[in-house]
Amino acid sequence: MLAIKRVPTVVSVNQDCGSVSRDCLQSCFLTGFDLPLFKYTKKMKTTELQLLGDEEVPSSPPTIERSFLGTLLLSKWEERASQGLFRYDVTACESRVLSGNYGFIAQLNEGRHLKKRLTEFRVDQVLQEFDPKKFNFSKVNRNEVLFQFGEGEEAGYYDITPILSSPDIVLINVSPIEYGHVLLVPRLFDFVPQRLCANDLLLALYFTAEVDCPYFRVGYNSLGAFATINHLHFQAYYLAYPFPVECASITRINKGSLKSSLRISELVDYPVKGVVYESMDLNEIAISVASTCQELELRNIPFNLLICDCGTRVFLFPQCFARKQALHQVSQKVLDTQVNPAAWEIGGHIVLKRKEDYEHATEEFVTALLAEVSLSDPDFQDVKNIICK
Amino acid sequence: MKNHKLIVSQSLIRSYRASIQDELQKHAYNFVLCDPGLPDHPIVYASDGFLEMTGYSRDEVLGRNCRFLQGRDTDKRAIVEIREAIREERDCQIKILNYTKAGKPFWNLFHLAPVFSQQDGRVVHFVGVQLPISSKLAARKDGHLTGLELSFDELEFEEHFDNPSCKNYHLSEEDKQRAFAAVKAVLQELANSSCKGVSSMRSKSFSEGVIPPGFVATSLLLALTRIPHSFVLTDPHLPDMPIVHASLEFLELTGYTREEVIGRNCRFLQGPDTDLAPIEELRSSISEGQTCTVRILNYRKNKEPFWNSLHISPVRNSSGKVAYYAGIQVAVSHSSEEDEGRARMQQLGTLGAIKVAVRSIQTGAVLRKSKTIS
Repeated sequence: MLAIKRVPTVVSVNQDCGSVSRDCLQSCFLTGFDLPLFKYTKKMKTTELQLLGDEEVPSSPPTIERSFLGTLLLSKWEERASQGLFRYDVTACESRVLSGNYGFIAQLNEGRHLKKRLTEFRVDQVLQEFDPKKFNFSKVNRNEVLFQFGEGEEAGYYDITPILSSPDIVLINVSPIEYGHVLLVPRLFDFVPQRLCANDLLLALYFTAEVDCPYFRVGYNSLGAFATINHLHFQAYYLAYPFPVECASITRINKGSLKSSLRISELVDYPVKGVVYESMDLNEIAISVASTCQELELRNIPFNLLICDCGTRVFLFPQCFARKQALHQVSQKVLDTQVNPAAWEIGGHIVLKRKEDYEHATEEFVTALLAEVSLSDPDFQDVKNIICK
Repeated sequence: MKNHKLIVSQSLIRSYRASIQDELQKHAYNFVLCDPGLPDHPIVYASDGFLEMTGYSRDEVLGRNCRFLQGRDTDKRAIVEIREAIREERDCQIKILNYTKAGKPFWNLFHLAPVFSQQDGRVVHFVGVQLPISSKLAARKDGHLTGLELSFDELEFEEHFDNPSCKNYHLSEEDKQRAFAAVKAVLQELANSSCKGVSSMRSKSFSEGVIPPGFVATSLLLALTRIPHSFVLTDPHLPDMPIVHASLEFLELTGYTREEVIGRNCRFLQGPDTDLAPIEELRSSISEGQTCTVRILNYRKNKEPFWNSLHISPVRNSSGKVAYYAGIQVAVSHSSEEDEGRARMQQLGTLGAIKVAVRSIQTGAVLRKSKTIS
């Protein structure tokens, strides 16, 4: 068994508590709990609207303006911030772009740095059984729950509704990387472990599309690729700046066809080897990406996803950093910065926890760090073969 | 966008003499002017050549973002390069696959150039010049490409568009120079017709780091104009905390024009029956760097009073320090609790969006490798 020790990120205030608090979501669920509900509809293909002018926007249902979900998310988040529910004010964290070719974004976030006990994470088993004894999202504090997300015939917003029977829940991350950092937990009470299937990924794509903002991105980290909690979840936040990976050159690896608009391309000249799926049809992306990811899971290849462009672009990064770390192949210098290269970091947004690391951060440092993430050429070729078969 | 045609025509009047449209008409180039200070960076002027090239009417393009020229097979990378150039407020010349109204793809040599205000250093407009490229060029008259007799037989689009040799159409120096010349001519015309002075380059002092007060970078503007609610940004570091940005919705709510509010303190919204208590609460919160929400009686330009549920908050930029104070307005009547709830959500949601926008890193200084086409 291969494992590494690291300090897990605190995403909920209840994460370290042994006991179940009366205020936690699970308890509230059992006693009845009202939450705002945002209903999205698969009929409203917001991605298609990108190519239309303003005059041609199909009339939205009267209760919802376009990208209302964004307003809802931001307002609830801001409310929680004013209530002091976050461990620090992320807008007070300094950021800058590292000069060079890629435009990596470095952030100094001392609040994320915790002098805590290291926890052991197994890195050679991407699929692990759900363990109810460990922390999961039913144990979050009720205040950390922003709203539930559900599908319906018509899009709509309902301020106060009883919690649905199998709700998809949006929570805050109490250690935010950026403004609006939330967790999307599909069918929370099904207690599914961290693993990907097309339907759950499609939910995440619809979520991204409904927020309808190019600054809002959604990420997924498999076990072994720096997921902290083995309970199915995606993360998301706003950054009004391009992620370096979004600007990288790509070259197509799948055949074009008249039936499908799905383009799958390989990253060129980017420190991490990866693949990007592009289509205006969210279904198509979900099915194709999930199929590849399930294959990776079976082969124990950890991976990260980064969903951009309102759900129409999904980056897939198979990775082996944690494995290398377990085999003591990563330099201590890199380990000391405590950067865990998950979806955001691979995308080019690096959160540094110590001032000296931030002040001395360079493109060379980030490139060297990310180089440890990439699979070897033959291993990556295997992945491409899976994708293109 | 309400009355977008009015807003679009105001975009030109604000910066240039009224004769600018006639002056620009004299040039046979294909080009557009876009305004990054309006929501979604729309086209505010389109030359006849541009309309002929793309097959649209003037009404169909004014007020729209240029992305309607993109299509299924437009290279994402090219779009990204253009976006980067806009964000970094610099020139870019690039080959991009565009589509006519009829859906016909064509390769376009696109040259983008910013037009800077000499007053405050802002980018007033972006000029976009288009030169369609083809292996068989149409007959030239007076050195300009006229008409669009592109031979698509050679393209056989579906099969060949990914073929690298097809992408490398021979772009002569002549083509590139023609694009440069077109941009130069248009910029010259704008400079000649400008009211307050525009130029293709920033003032020397700006490049040396002397930033005029009230300067707002394009990247911030693009993010702010996405927010569809009434708000202002004021600068607490400048004397009397003037407005440096006002959303379109704020202007519509209050009846003022942008020129009438930028540079002024918000107190012009107060009037004879405005209570002193909310004014004092605002003043006290600002002096302590706090947020607050007040209900205050304000007045439109036409003296009409309205109740304003005003929420103010300090907003930090990428340095982590307070850069602005945001003021978000919701016009309310003596309303129900439900209305209060909705108003509150709009305020906080708008504040969140402002925080995201202001937190973005304003580049300009970070130059990546130059983006000239190969």
